[in-house]
Amino acid sequence: MGMGLMSGSMIKVVIGPQHPALKEPERFIIEVEGEQVVQVTPRIGYVHRGIEKAMENRTYIQNLYLAERICGICSHAHTTCYVQAVEDLLSVEAPPRAKYIRTVIAELERIHSHLLWLGILAHEVGFDTFFMYVWRDREVIMDLLEEISGNRVNYAMNTIGGVRRDLDQEKISKILKGLEVIEEKAKKYIQMIQKEPTILKRTVGVGYLSSIDAVRYNAVGPLARASGVKRDVRKDDPYIAYDDISFNIVTRDEGDCFSRMMIRAEEILESINIVREALSKLPVGDISVKTRLVIPPSETVSRVEAPRGELIHYARSNGTDKPERYKIRAPTLANLKALCKMLTGIYLADVPVILAGIDPCFSCMDRMQIIDCEKKEKQSWTLDDLRRYAREWYQKH
Amino acid sequence: MNEDEIITSLKNRFGERVHNSKIAKPRRVYVEVDASIIREALSYMRGSLGFDHLSTITGLDSEERIELIYHIVCGNSIVVSMKTNVLKTNPKIGSISDIYVTAELYEREVYDLLGVRFEEHPNLSRLILPEDWPENLHPLRKEATLEQIKSRLSMNGDGINERFND
Amino acid sequence: MVSETLIFLGQVLIFPGFLFIILLAFFAEWAVRKITGRIQNRLGPTYTGYMGILQPIADFIKLLRKEDITPTMADKIFFLIFPIMYFSLPLTAFSLIPMTEVQALTYFEGDLILLTFIFTIITAMVFLGGFSSGNIFSIVGGTRSATQLLGYEIPLVFTLLCPAIPAGSFSLTTIVEWQQNNSWIIWTQPLGFGIILTCMLAELELTPFDAPEAETEIVAGSITEFSGVKLALIRLGKNIKLVLASSLISALYLGGPEQLWILPPIMIFLIKVFVVLFLMVSLRAIFARFRIDQILAGMWKYLIPLAVTQFLLTKILWGW
Repeated sequence: MGMGLMSGSMIKVVIGPQHPALKEPERFIIEVEGEQVVQVTPRIGYVHRGIEKAMENRTYIQNLYLAERICGICSHAHTTCYVQAVEDLLSVEAPPRAKYIRTVIAELERIHSHLLWLGILAHEVGFDTFFMYVWRDREVIMDLLEEISGNRVNYAMNTIGGVRRDLDQEKISKILKGLEVIEEKAKKYIQMIQKEPTILKRTVGVGYLSSIDAVRYNAVGPLARASGVKRDVRKDDPYIAYDDISFNIVTRDEGDCFSRMMIRAEEILESINIVREALSKLPVGDISVKTRLVIPPSETVSRVEAPRGELIHYARSNGTDKPERYKIRAPTLANLKALCKMLTGIYLADVPVILAGIDPCFSCMDRMQIIDCEKKEKQSWTLDDLRRYAREWYQKH
Repeated sequence: MNEDEIITSLKNRFGERVHNSKIAKPRRVYVEVDASIIREALSYMRGSLGFDHLSTITGLDSEERIELIYHIVCGNSIVVSMKTNVLKTNPKIGSISDIYVTAELYEREVYDLLGVRFEEHPNLSRLILPEDWPENLHPLRKEATLEQIKSRLSMNGDGINERFND
Repeated sequence: MVSETLIFLGQVLIFPGFLFIILLAFFAEWAVRKITGRIQNRLGPTYTGYMGILQPIADFIKLLRKEDITPTMADKIFFLIFPIMYFSLPLTAFSLIPMTEVQALTYFEGDLILLTFIFTIITAMVFLGGFSSGNIFSIVGGTRSATQLLGYEIPLVFTLLCPAIPAGSFSLTTIVEWQQNNSWIIWTQPLGFGIILTCMLAELELTPFDAPEAETEIVAGSITEFSGVKLALIRLGKNIKLVLASSLISALYLGGPEQLWILPPIMIFLIKVFVVLFLMVSLRAIFARFRIDQILAGMWKYLIPLAVTQFLLTKILWGW
């Protein structure tokens, strides 16, 4: 990494697979003329875990755990999508209380994901103080999630036919108290984003995506909504309890990094209201139903609005306890094309801001191939071998 | 436009070449079309019926054929899963990356994992697998077992070992 | 005669010379990390020594023990020279700054000009150092340092020279003397103080002017490829530069070392230095990073006219 090739006035800057601007391993080859980007070529696939193939070889219950681990940030979105698909194949429905609990967790997850992203964007523009503050406040949500589910990231709340843990009155009052803290902070952040001159300098007009292009490049989630495209699976294709809950889709027209920042900050407030409403309407009853484990041949498409946008799973069963095919498409892959479009013609200094602007989650995006050569390598490759190989490789190139 | 009208207008336009249509539940439409008209059908869906969002393309191995499922969405609410299939011995189909820009990535993914060749694709190259992955091993095909993939991967490892031994 | 030489040598090497300044630099790094940490609601260093005060020294020793790598693509000679120069230039410059008394260790008419020159040379070294390592991030970082220099150099020189006008001398010692007989320059030239503070932020590459080493874009800029002893020297050099900049500002604008009640001049001087340091660190913590083109545009649009105004005002006030 970092080996640049200079030809004439063009410099190829390779961002990734390891680069401080990208916390996850993907590679972008960026051709720069002076400080301006001429062309961007993405290369993904560095974190393939072969989840789709693995799912075909495991039972539906085992796959639940795989789905949980597709992504560390939006693990609940993936399992919700998964259990929804499997419940649909089985033609069972989760009890209403379970649906509401799923909604509560989903929105808490959205809040923590958006806070995480706000912090990262602040870090990308070099505003580390803001980053520290946002991440400190995010701990409130992380603690709540731990309180509810016992886990900070892979909550393991969903199961086929319902949820695994119930909410009692004590937990509900804790959630409400935590939300008050976050609401106050989120409002403060919105004010700060709008007034802080250096943030404005770095985000207003940066990474512009028109609403026509947002539709043309099939952008999803906050990226599309920041360009004025009113798309939200929660509203358009309601799932779990979103049917019964009133909320707004936040959209803005600017289509730049600033509006992406504002959208996410405002969505935090919207999510807080959703959680409050869901908790106040929480129906009584069971939290899960018993289901069979062998599923007759069928197929289904399941969609969820993950924090980063539309998440789609396609499942086909074949009469056994294992799926015939399970397809996952994470929101980041959908936004990749729009990202390349936004990166062309901008300043190199803006690249990290725009990259971060789509809230990329690369480990969600890469999931298909089995990378299991680890054992083999460990047997035959010592560190010295690796070093020798690297040295020789560099001499050849 | 509701689910029934979508199927009717597709049938009116393409007649016999559209079959096995069903409405599984509200907002979920499944329809099968011949591989020869997939480009026409999708550009009709996009141009005339307002399906401007391609969610993804699913590739699926069903014995001697490879099924391709195009999941398209209209105004983000009705999801039409348009299926077609190609022979496994000669998996070729027209690229739709000029109709839906994002299809470029999804087609590369299917090419990578199932070996379907998309004709007139602007840049049909590996997206996910490593560059030195064997040409004829498509991990998502049923004949590619986990054992096989593992052994191919370890063969790759041996290859690297040989390279640095000499 | 011999004892005089020994005393002078002691002054150069121990107090207030190299050893003292190096310790001061370590202390400054600790202060910067602690202050930034507290502002950002973190703890900062806590483990090594009282409140982590020994952490910078521990880091320095750790780096000394690390492997020293020279990239194949690097220009070997310059890659070696850069860290040494980067460390020794600001250290040498300290002998021109009055710390323990009104007189500096060495002083002559025009030492202010030499200081200005040293600051520019350091930036030039950063630029060349970036190129010497052959890394793409270093090259971009070095270019950005040089570009930034074009922005802040002119206002910096103006505000360095403004205090010389009332004192009627280009010697730092004379300027400090004048301030003690009359009043601190900051009272008569507050605008100049603001400008020099901003320029020094840019010279030290602190946020919001840290584009040359923007971590998220170009890793560590010029110093990306340096490791081991070289990195240790560069980091130390950076801290010395930080203290040098604060000392220069306090000598030029805040009156330098002076006896106050029973406190020795050096104490007063250090208090002033750390006040300036605190100001710069707080500024660093409350801003986001500007883009390099924005820095340049801002400098030329606002800072240079302001600096020229200050210069003309001083000229008119104190006569031609």
